[in-house]
Amino acid sequence: MICAKNLSVRLAGKLIVDALSLTAKAGQVTAIVGPNGSGKTTTMKAISGEIASSGELTINGDDMRKLEPWQLAVRRAVLPQSTTITFPFTVREIVRMGLSTGLNNDAAHAQAIAAAALAAVDLEGFEGRFYQELSGGEQQRVQLARVLTQIWDPVLDGRPCFLMLDEPVSSLDIRHQLTIMQLARNYCLRGGGVIAVMHDLNLTAMFADHMVMMKRGKAIAAGAPADVLTDAAMEEVFGCRMRVSGLPAAGTPFILPQTAVL
Amino acid sequence: MIGHRLRLGAEGDRTGLARLVIAALAVLTVLVLLLSTATGASDASVVDVALSLVSGEPSSVLSQRDRIIVIDIRLPRALLGLVIGAALAVSGVVMQGLFRNPLADPGLIGISSGAALGAVLMIVLGGALPAVFLGLVGAFALPLAAFTGGLVATLLLYRIATRHGQTSIATMLLAGLAIAALANAVTGVLIYVADDRQLRDVTFWSLGSLAGATWPKVVTAGPIILLSLSVLPFLARGLNAITLGEATAFHMGVKVQKLKNIAVVSVAAAIGAAVAVSGGIAFVGIVVPHVLRMVIGPDHRYLLPASALLGGILLLAADMFARTIVAPAELPIGIVTALAGAPFFLWVLLRHRASTGL
Repeated sequence: MICAKNLSVRLAGKLIVDALSLTAKAGQVTAIVGPNGSGKTTTMKAISGEIASSGELTINGDDMRKLEPWQLAVRRAVLPQSTTITFPFTVREIVRMGLSTGLNNDAAHAQAIAAAALAAVDLEGFEGRFYQELSGGEQQRVQLARVLTQIWDPVLDGRPCFLMLDEPVSSLDIRHQLTIMQLARNYCLRGGGVIAVMHDLNLTAMFADHMVMMKRGKAIAAGAPADVLTDAAMEEVFGCRMRVSGLPAAGTPFILPQTAVL
Repeated sequence: MIGHRLRLGAEGDRTGLARLVIAALAVLTVLVLLLSTATGASDASVVDVALSLVSGEPSSVLSQRDRIIVIDIRLPRALLGLVIGAALAVSGVVMQGLFRNPLADPGLIGISSGAALGAVLMIVLGGALPAVFLGLVGAFALPLAAFTGGLVATLLLYRIATRHGQTSIATMLLAGLAIAALANAVTGVLIYVADDRQLRDVTFWSLGSLAGATWPKVVTAGPIILLSLSVLPFLARGLNAITLGEATAFHMGVKVQKLKNIAVVSVAAAIGAAVAVSGGIAFVGIVVPHVLRMVIGPDHRYLLPASALLGGILLLAADMFARTIVAPAELPIGIVTALAGAPFFLWVLLRHRASTGL
């Protein structure tokens, strides 16, 4: 379990995250949603240990701030929004990097994990391609494969590992959005935990077990999607007057991921 | 021998190729070393020199005079060329890795100028230092001063160009330009106040040359360079992670700040020692890593040793060219590397125009 209590982040004198509390349990997809600039990514950076924050922050009961980088690296892995690389790495070389800092030293085993991770993000056969020559969505999936290899086993020594994903589906097509969200759910079914910053509320409703809605650095609401996603919350947080689960006017097509046959 | 274990087949896996290239470069290094000691006015052949070096005794074919030329003049020069070439190329790899940019070269971004300023300060004003201190550091005074200059320039550059773990390439190149200009200006002032003897010392390596190579120089600069370079392979995995960004490297378990500190100090020491004996030699640090990245890929576990070898080979080849093309005179080696390296740099710049945002 990852537990943040009264988490606050101040950047250049400005309070970006304001006394936010969040609990991400193993076996659950926890989503963080909110409008642009509400502090979602900053919250994620604080929880991953990337930036300094005040308040309580624990992973499986251990104070996260007291853990060394390598200790954190075997307990949680982080997918940033985007990663640009100026050197000509192949896809295989990038994915293998996730294994180089973890606990996997057996070359054959590492090879198998790297291949399985690429298959999991639907990039089989991409090993020999150059990262720089891939599309944005493909790059995002390569990075996710790398992140997966870092904590391939969702449970380490009887304690859950956590994937922290900052907008994991932001540049993906609808099919791959579903693939990746299913992958996240699967990781939870196998005993791990997932925290994801999400923009797509339909995917959130579909895949999240628990969600936190943020506005101006504060958690406005938290709970199951069915409880958090209300007409009132949409208007208060996003400033949009709209109806949750309402149907559009007749004749306007709409496509919901919830209808996909998985 | 290496053939049957080589797996070039696995797609996107260049480790087998990298190992093969490193082995080939190691062989080439020995050949170039021999060729370099056999090249020059005296007509001792490569074989004679090799035999003489191995046996340690004057052979019948290699006269006593030739032996002195080979052992006391050409050999220290060749060895110095190898370690300095290695220092320049490896420092290029490390700076490029830290800045996440293939255009960072110690010669271009002011580190060499900083080191040169440190060295000139020592030559011109070092006499004013307490004799106890000079007695203590002895022959290491010049490399030490150059190291300090290079370190200050590197730290200054890093502080200016990096904010929140992101390095602005434009800021880095422009700040490097300014730091180099400032260091050169102060060096100019020092030259103005220098006396004749100091001036000779200063002019000698402001051109960049291996001509002053002697065994004492090999013995002072060599260990410093080899020691600082020997630390860097341990940083290879961390440098790989940093190419994905400093935050991502941290997430992958790398102690980023510690890695940067070790890398910057090692580079400053290697460059300082190199500059102290040979002056500023530009472009080796850009050309070598770039060519190797195209062949074996950017994995620092292989890029670092391969660059060390190719850097040495290239510098030694440039030195052979420099001392034979206008014989009996010789060109400063810095001119040769700039003549070949500058057009190459422009080519890299054009190729990367889109990705560097310049």
